[in-house]
Amino acid sequence: MTEITISAHRRTLLKAGIGLGGAALLSAVPRRVRAATPDKINIAFFTETSPSAIAKGEGWLEDVTKAKINWIEVGSGAEINTAIAAGSVDIGVGIGSAPTAAGLSQSIGYQVIYIRDNIGPAEELTVRTAANIKKPSDLIGKKVGVPFGSTSHFRLLGFLKTNGLTQKQVTVLDLRSDALVAAWQRGDIDAAYVWAPAKSKILAAGGEVFRTYDKLEKAGYVIADLIVARTAFAEAYPDTVVAILKAENRALDVWTSTPDKAADIIGKQAGVTADVAKADLLEYDFVAPKRQLEANWLGTPGHVGRFAEVLQGTAKFLAEQKSIRTVPDLSVFQKGINTVPLTKSIA
Amino acid sequence: MIESRRPYWLLSVVSVVGFFAIWHVITVAQLAPANLLPSMTQVWDAFVDVLHNGYRETTLWQNAAATLGRCLAGFGLAAVTGVPLGLWMGRSPALAASIDWIIQFMRPLPPLSYMVLLILWLGTGDTSKVALLFLAAFPTIAMAATAGVRGVNQQRIHAALACGASPQQVFRHVVLPSCLPTVMTGLRISLAVTFTTVVAAELMTASDGLGWMVFSASHFLRTDIVMLGILILGLLGMALSRALLSLDLWLVHWRGRE
Amino acid sequence: MPRRLPLRACTALSAAVLIAAWLVLTWGGYVRDLFLPPPGELWDGFMDLLTDGYRNRTLLEHLEASLWRIFAGFVTGAVAGTLLGLAMGYWRAVEAIFTPYIEFLRPLPQLAYLLLLIIWFGIGETSKIILLFLAALPVSAVAARDGVRNVPLQRIHAARSLGASEWQIFRHVILPSALPEIFTGARIAVGVVYGTLIAAEIIAGSSGLGWMILDAGRFLRSDYVFVGIILIGLMGLALNWALVALETRVVHWAGR
Repeated sequence: MTEITISAHRRTLLKAGIGLGGAALLSAVPRRVRAATPDKINIAFFTETSPSAIAKGEGWLEDVTKAKINWIEVGSGAEINTAIAAGSVDIGVGIGSAPTAAGLSQSIGYQVIYIRDNIGPAEELTVRTAANIKKPSDLIGKKVGVPFGSTSHFRLLGFLKTNGLTQKQVTVLDLRSDALVAAWQRGDIDAAYVWAPAKSKILAAGGEVFRTYDKLEKAGYVIADLIVARTAFAEAYPDTVVAILKAENRALDVWTSTPDKAADIIGKQAGVTADVAKADLLEYDFVAPKRQLEANWLGTPGHVGRFAEVLQGTAKFLAEQKSIRTVPDLSVFQKGINTVPLTKSIA
Repeated sequence: MIESRRPYWLLSVVSVVGFFAIWHVITVAQLAPANLLPSMTQVWDAFVDVLHNGYRETTLWQNAAATLGRCLAGFGLAAVTGVPLGLWMGRSPALAASIDWIIQFMRPLPPLSYMVLLILWLGTGDTSKVALLFLAAFPTIAMAATAGVRGVNQQRIHAALACGASPQQVFRHVVLPSCLPTVMTGLRISLAVTFTTVVAAELMTASDGLGWMVFSASHFLRTDIVMLGILILGLLGMALSRALLSLDLWLVHWRGRE
Repeated sequence: MPRRLPLRACTALSAAVLIAAWLVLTWGGYVRDLFLPPPGELWDGFMDLLTDGYRNRTLLEHLEASLWRIFAGFVTGAVAGTLLGLAMGYWRAVEAIFTPYIEFLRPLPQLAYLLLLIIWFGIGETSKIILLFLAALPVSAVAARDGVRNVPLQRIHAARSLGASEWQIFRHVILPSALPEIFTGARIAVGVVYGTLIAAEIIAGSSGLGWMILDAGRFLRSDYVFVGIILIGLMGLALNWALVALETRVVHWAGR
């Protein structure tokens, strides 16, 4: 074979190529700027019917923080976990307690700062009226759709467990909301465990509610939507976090005092009519800030409330499902709850 | 055996018109429920609406530009690094032995399988998406460049050297043109793969782009916008293929005439 | 004079460098296990999956589910595509009719129309297999069409002058000449189907290797994710080798 070494010309091109690639990668590394207030905040949110939508829609967060807010829409709590672990998100609004329990167990590096709502009946098992499902055992041999990894998934599996049903008897399918509705309309599934807006669509298409939430809550399967803050961010900018919670409190006030006006704004943000929005909102138990500080929930700084146990219980369940490897000590969950900003926000 | 091309071109047109006719008949005769198959007018209305009012605070141009931008960025990076590296590997068996096994392993890996890892490492912004596209495009390009160099006719090299050409000149005037056809084919295949992957990249943590528009619309069961997105993506893909094919034919003007 | 390193040593050396970097990053504590699991965790994860399976299905069942989908989608798409492509190469009219659809379908990103397919065909296996079928079809069709078109005209003329019928010409001249390109198309089609597989398994799946990786990724179980990726990579390599082996045997048998 003829020996032809790489010409200098080619070598330069190669170096240029590698240099370009390297420069591109380097420029992607975010620069940390130390300041008292951040100029940019990354907030992950869901498109859903909740008072948080008021704060977003009215631009209150931009006003109180005087920062540019990068609103990152997510479809699941798992995405929030991934994003915070990657350092791309500073505040996660509306993340479910199940993904949060997973995140705290894996030391992703965030803390719970607010309980947005106690889910209660808002996420429920809906069954096909025609299938005549009246008791838990009627589900044997049926197909249930649920978004895996969500609070609904947690509730559904808890329902199966407390009623002695296995996943071999009841087929549980992993379906996102839109695929879920499509599957329901096609008759591929007989039941679903999900939240609005998919839930209302399913109920309107030959479905009825099969009440599970009260028994499940008594059995300890409490689920809630929370607001979490990346720990490094919260430590660097504590005042910003307080300001954000103040805006959330204000949004909640709008709902409690003027529900119709609130439903209007929320409906526009969520892409549903004001009536649908109001009906959805009424099913949630939005926990007032003062109530969040009670011993039953988050507790106060220094006296962490029982929600830490709820999180640990959730984590234990996830570990049984092999979704997470180990369940840490209660203290990890207690440390994962920070009520200082909340206390300041209502002062 | 040169046949007149005119009748056949007409046949293609008739075929496409026939497709739209069947679509129209199905919707008019209500053979399918309205929310499963939107009518052509619905899709057209959606197009006009999105063109003027945008989709969820993003304009159509914004989404198209975002998708195209990511695609070309990932592809461009892969081309700029893959072609030189592949050429080098073709001439250096040692380098090839060191790196080829990595490329061979990367090639069949479906990009979506490591998307989560890239988001974890590089964040939720465009960096992880462009990285995904780079990794999807790179193996094909590098392998094509390597194959191109290895496939060079040895006699030509010997002949050129015998005429007193320097190794540099041999590389520039014999080797490089000889591998151009294979490299261009590799680039074309790679661009197709990259374009397909860009929609997958917009499935998670995206807030603009044509793929994001399709996924977001499906979330709200707006099948008319989903159809619109599919049509635009298809046309865009065809345009990209055509563009690169034209470039290929222009650069490699000696194709088929060795 | 370039150094003459034994080639095997080069491969081994680069592999060793990568493994060393992996060990340093993980054992040295520079990177969290969330981002890059150390070898111990990967092995534990693999054993875990082997013994307990993932979400009520054994690892083998997930593998089989994925392989079955690839097989069904690829075989139907490649066979239909090849037949269509042969027809397109042979009859200009057929080509004129079908080219717009092939040219539109080929660059179309599969995930984009997956949701439509699910709405039309449900969440079961049908929509996934149709997706993979549509992914394989255009590639095979184009390859077969080009294979037929590139047959040297002299051979066809020679066969005709010997008095062969059209069918005989097709079977003994065109088909063997086109076979290499058909196989190249098949290899590319497998690649496309393989790449589309994960897309097919994410929207409405509860089984399959691709779905397993995505579900594990939701909980940031990086150990399962890595094991899954390695398995998918190995499976892809195995499929490619199988196809190459098949190709050399069939093409050799068909004569040149």
